[in-house]
Amino acid sequence: MPRTTTVECPGCPPFRALTFDALGLIKVIEARGKEGGVPKVVDRWGDPDASKCVLAASIDDRKTDPLLAVARKSGMVEVLNPLNGELSVTVSNVNSGSTRPEDDAIVGLHLFRRQRLELTSRSCTLLTCTTKGNASIRSVEMTDSSADSVASKTWSVCTSGNISCSQVDGSESYAIFGGKGVEVNMWDLDKCTQIWTAKPPPKNSLGIFTPSWFTSATFLSKDDHRKVVAGTNSHQVRLYDVSAQRRPVISFDFRETSIKAVTEDLDGHTIYIGNGSGDLASVDIRTGKLLGCFLGKCSGSVRSIARHPELPVIASCGLDSYLRIWDIGTRQLLSSVFLKQHLTKVVFDTNFTEEVRHTAADSALHEAQNIGEVQSADETEKLPTKRKKSSKEDRGSRKKASKDKDGSKKLKSKKRSKSLENEFADDA
Amino acid sequence: MGGKRKKGESEGMEGDNDSKNNNKKMKQKSEMLPSSIKNKEKRSAVHAKLKHQKKLEKRKKLKARDASEKRALELGEEPAPKQIPRTIENTREADETVCMPDDEELFVGNDADEFSSILKRDRIPKILITTCRFNSTRGPAFIAELLSVIPNAHYYKRGTYDLKKIVEYANNKEFTSIIVVHTNRREPDALLIIGLPDGPTAHFKLSSLVLRKDIKNHGNPTGHMPELVLNNFTTRLGHRIGRLIQALFPQDPNFRGRRVVTFHNQRDFIFFRHHRYIFETKESKQSDSKGKKAKDAKGDSIAKEKVVARLQECGPRFTLKLVSLQHGTFDTKGGEYEWVHKPEMDTSRRRFFL
Repeated sequence: MPRTTTVECPGCPPFRALTFDALGLIKVIEARGKEGGVPKVVDRWGDPDASKCVLAASIDDRKTDPLLAVARKSGMVEVLNPLNGELSVTVSNVNSGSTRPEDDAIVGLHLFRRQRLELTSRSCTLLTCTTKGNASIRSVEMTDSSADSVASKTWSVCTSGNISCSQVDGSESYAIFGGKGVEVNMWDLDKCTQIWTAKPPPKNSLGIFTPSWFTSATFLSKDDHRKVVAGTNSHQVRLYDVSAQRRPVISFDFRETSIKAVTEDLDGHTIYIGNGSGDLASVDIRTGKLLGCFLGKCSGSVRSIARHPELPVIASCGLDSYLRIWDIGTRQLLSSVFLKQHLTKVVFDTNFTEEVRHTAADSALHEAQNIGEVQSADETEKLPTKRKKSSKEDRGSRKKASKDKDGSKKLKSKKRSKSLENEFADDA
Repeated sequence: MGGKRKKGESEGMEGDNDSKNNNKKMKQKSEMLPSSIKNKEKRSAVHAKLKHQKKLEKRKKLKARDASEKRALELGEEPAPKQIPRTIENTREADETVCMPDDEELFVGNDADEFSSILKRDRIPKILITTCRFNSTRGPAFIAELLSVIPNAHYYKRGTYDLKKIVEYANNKEFTSIIVVHTNRREPDALLIIGLPDGPTAHFKLSSLVLRKDIKNHGNPTGHMPELVLNNFTTRLGHRIGRLIQALFPQDPNFRGRRVVTFHNQRDFIFFRHHRYIFETKESKQSDSKGKKAKDAKGDSIAKEKVVARLQECGPRFTLKLVSLQHGTFDTKGGEYEWVHKPEMDTSRRRFFL
């Protein structure tokens, strides 16, 4: 076995990512250049202060007027402009005066993309969830420096236990919550009612019951809220189908330490999982089969994984204070950036790539003659189990192809996910 | 069949060598590599001869260098600069995680970390030392010596308690660290240092342990607060480990005690030594030929008394190697690691993590 991990395709496509760390800093990492850009820290927002440790973040990367919401340890939620780091509004999340923010930290934060209510453009809607299970949706008007927060809805997700993960689905009308002693449960955000909760798996053959402790959860695909993937502290990954049953459809083990991050791919069946000892892998959730691991000297717990919405790359970050960019096809490390602090979250800002890609798309038009290649490359992407062999031959063509195939791919993946549903229904 | 194959291979090699030699120098054609000679007796003879030649050459080179240095000294010129040997440490692979003194984030991070209250003397270190479940012979002896090295350390019998329960107990009793000595086959082989109340947990492999009574001419430590020397903890990870170790000792050394505890990091191995030192004024010997010459050259008198530091080792002596650093207190099931050693990280001998 070769001990060295060589990067076959060094450099990475142009992207812009934001990382959040334990000292409350937000760092902007950009890679420029069409081929083989080296990512660099271009900006740092905020002053290092341990009490401002970032716990959760959410980005709304619209083309115009994007927003970024950041939840801090001090119980404050800040809404920033992700382009220049300008603070637009600060909201305090301290609901009741009796609890200190340290005891009831924010674990989940979501910035709604669509305008939930007919409001002016200078407003945003936030979903926050704390450890004790106090969830609230509030819309914030950004009139002046003073924030008028209207807590429209507040409810309690759980009565006992600690929430450790929450996620909102693509249509933004459902949310899942899970945690220590709390089974995964799904809420309808419009009516604020619980519509589904999971059931713990039965005792094993020795009669030992593992108490539920979810550490991460995500929706499997953007336009379907019914399938949920959750990672547990006892290193299990489970797929739940809300429409079918309360017990997991598929459940499998991954390595020895607890699952700390789960992220879905755009194709609706691949997920990326990261665990407490720094292992990162992609899994086909339909079968529960491991597609492969992302190897590359990653030594600290993975806290967050982000999938780029257009480019075939994922970013991971965690306690080893590196931001790593991986190619999802070859599972090669494209590059890594040392960011000095324990990182808690990474998000991609797609608008940046838009700007650059306007020029890139023009040149891509000239290369449009090799459509045949494009299609073949597309097919190799669709067959994840056979990818390993074919991807090597097609890599050269895929690089070019990846840029102009996005449009067509999205349509296909939608169809595919629908057919998937049928499959799952059959299984159930 | 095997023999045949070998033959084929060796022939191939010979061919290769020949072609190389042809390409390189025609005059060396008669000289062939000893490894390509098939007769073992002949091969070893040629090899020995080559080795001897190399040795002679080396000696000649050394002599020439010494002579030129001497000549330069006599002529009053600057001798050629001494060559620095290339070692694994000074050819270490470039590492971006090495701490820089002008890094503002580092210092804020230090202020925010788990040890800052101890290192700022807000809390006094109080250490709980315990063992693994089964413990005998060298284990207790090692712990007895650790108790004499680390001030304000208390030994508690392990009993059958879970380590998590012990962490809870120590938190209630306001201990600042727990040290667990793990013994395997009656020999201490691992050390676990847990920072309290909220981590981190460092797991070290412990090797080459020499107890005090096995050290020749050892001294006995006094009860003074020791001085602490931490060497070569350069990277972020190393820095953190250094601070973890620093937080075990009180931050106000008693210099009167002349007692020093050293943690020296070299190639990711942390060497522990415990010494007593003394400064002695000693008359410099006149018979020292080099000193005499220097004196003659300079022409003035150097003070005849010089201060010499003498060391006496107090023991114990051991080596630590970091296996993992865990975020938070001891938790093997759901713990998050800040750093774990993985085999895929060992890509080079010149890559170090501390």
